[in-house]
Amino acid sequence: MLVKAKTSLTQRFYIFDIVKGLYITMKNMLFAKKVTIQFPEERRNYSNRYRGLHYIKATNGVENCTACMLCPTVCPAECIHIEAGERPDKEKYPVKFEIDVLRCCFCGMCEEACPKDAIKLSNIYEMTVTQRTIYEKDFLVEQRGSK
Amino acid sequence: MPKCVIDGKEVEFSAGENMVDVAKRAGIEIPVFCYHPGLTVVAQCRMCAVEVEKMPKLQTACSTPVADGMVIKTKSDKVKSHQKSVMEFLLVNHPLDCPICDKSGECDLQDTSYSYGDSNTRYTEERRTYLDLDMGPVIKKSMNRCIHCTRCIRFGDEIAGIREMVAIHRGNSTEISTIDGKPLETEYAGNYADICPTGSLTLKDFRFKKRVWFLKKTKTICEGCSRGCSVELHQDNNVIVRTIARENKEVNKYWICDEGRFHFNSVHNQHRIVAPVVEGSHSDWATAIHRLKTLSANQTVHVLIGTDLTNEEVSAIKMALPKASKTSVFSHFGTPGLTSAAKDEAADALLKRKSKTSNLHGVEKLGIAGFEKFDQSAGLVLVFSGGRAVLPDVSNLGKAKVIGVGVFTDEEAKTFAAVLPATTFAEKSGTIVNFMGIEQKLQAAIRPVGSSKQISEILMLWQNQQGSEGHSNG
Repeated sequence: MLVKAKTSLTQRFYIFDIVKGLYITMKNMLFAKKVTIQFPEERRNYSNRYRGLHYIKATNGVENCTACMLCPTVCPAECIHIEAGERPDKEKYPVKFEIDVLRCCFCGMCEEACPKDAIKLSNIYEMTVTQRTIYEKDFLVEQRGSK
Repeated sequence: MPKCVIDGKEVEFSAGENMVDVAKRAGIEIPVFCYHPGLTVVAQCRMCAVEVEKMPKLQTACSTPVADGMVIKTKSDKVKSHQKSVMEFLLVNHPLDCPICDKSGECDLQDTSYSYGDSNTRYTEERRTYLDLDMGPVIKKSMNRCIHCTRCIRFGDEIAGIREMVAIHRGNSTEISTIDGKPLETEYAGNYADICPTGSLTLKDFRFKKRVWFLKKTKTICEGCSRGCSVELHQDNNVIVRTIARENKEVNKYWICDEGRFHFNSVHNQHRIVAPVVEGSHSDWATAIHRLKTLSANQTVHVLIGTDLTNEEVSAIKMALPKASKTSVFSHFGTPGLTSAAKDEAADALLKRKSKTSNLHGVEKLGIAGFEKFDQSAGLVLVFSGGRAVLPDVSNLGKAKVIGVGVFTDEEAKTFAAVLPATTFAEKSGTIVNFMGIEQKLQAAIRPVGSSKQISEILMLWQNQQGSEGHSNG
């Protein structure tokens, strides 16, 4: 059954509501502070705790990572793949260290699990790519971001 | 039976048993390092000390036989503080390199420290370090991690029958080493890594391959010889990475030989044929089965059965062959020069047997005789092999064609008319009979590699195709 709402004369006469709505629109358009920014030129300041793109910390040019595999163990998205090897200056090092960033959920568990302070999440958040990207060791060892 | 009380639990025991074993049976764990059930007791790590009523001091549980009416406490304050102190002493010089140590995850020292030790260290001085010498192709030594339990010294002396590991220097600078720093000679060297309670002796073959907590474990039987040692295969992502010994008091006790330990490498051998081959070129299953069918029809078939097949496979072959060919002759092969189970004997004092295949005795019990020479009337020689058996010479047979069903390498199958790849011991389940007549069960650890199939499946394909083709022709 269709029930017709009872409306008063002022409600049926829309002009008051239209003026009210236009007032709000004008107030925000002309006088309110802008919430958007001109992105490539302007940047936002993110907290230092922000979890963005990963990097591997290096000390004196040698990566901190010892390929202990704790990060792939703890990773809930299974996006880290490491192969361990040996070289004269380091008993165990990662021959291969790959992060499949599309799988990553940026939970930061890898950073928390790392006993060597090697894998870190920087505050870089611009990671747009046009194809599936797996970040390899050479890319990750170069330190980016401010942490 | 005499009884004793451990932690308020009444436990029965037989005379001469030590406290560690009796407590274990009652479900009470006493932490140990130097004690190993397969070796003599030395009681030098002091970790297993327990409190016994009416005895003034703590007693080492591994070296004290249980007596009737004994009241043992393994969790009293006195014992706990003792365990904590022993752990602290053992960890004084132990490096904190669990992240790079292959043992971590299955390490006695790590587990015991976690359960009985303190999470803090008071030690601030420099730790003792050693230079490691090479120990041969099997074992990698990291002396810094050693806690001097001397299990390795006792293993070489008592089990492997060669005194090659010794403790040199004394006191704080004690070092476990081979005599004169020579490489290890024993053929049972892999066991050093199994029994080491820390990561001091690890396998070179397994070094940095996988962390142990990723491994999926399958209890199975080694197919290296007719002893059939109990082993555990460890795999990840369908790739086997190592074999370790499993306790089996009747067959192999706690040990396996290096040959059996590293035999799993043949499963992932790059020369192994894992897709059907017809006349030397890669093919598909339908073509290969068709080839098998045309070559076997109305022929006398000489069937060579590798003694590395399971009883189930051999029975299936025996049932299937008469239906598929005119006449068939069966003989088994495996170890060159060893044609019957009666000739199989011990190859050394510990485990190894002369027959280098696992099921020689089982195949013989199924009524198949050893291979002597080829049947002259045979038009087809059908070779079934599990990969371990050594093929007799089939290169020049004149008119007879050879078809291989099983595991072959490129080299072995050069002259074959067709190869139908089947499974190795790690990919199949079944029963094998060892030289003592004990039936043991193989358990598949991984899925068949490549497009290889089980032998029973191949036999079914063979017969189904015959049936369906006969139908369409008629």
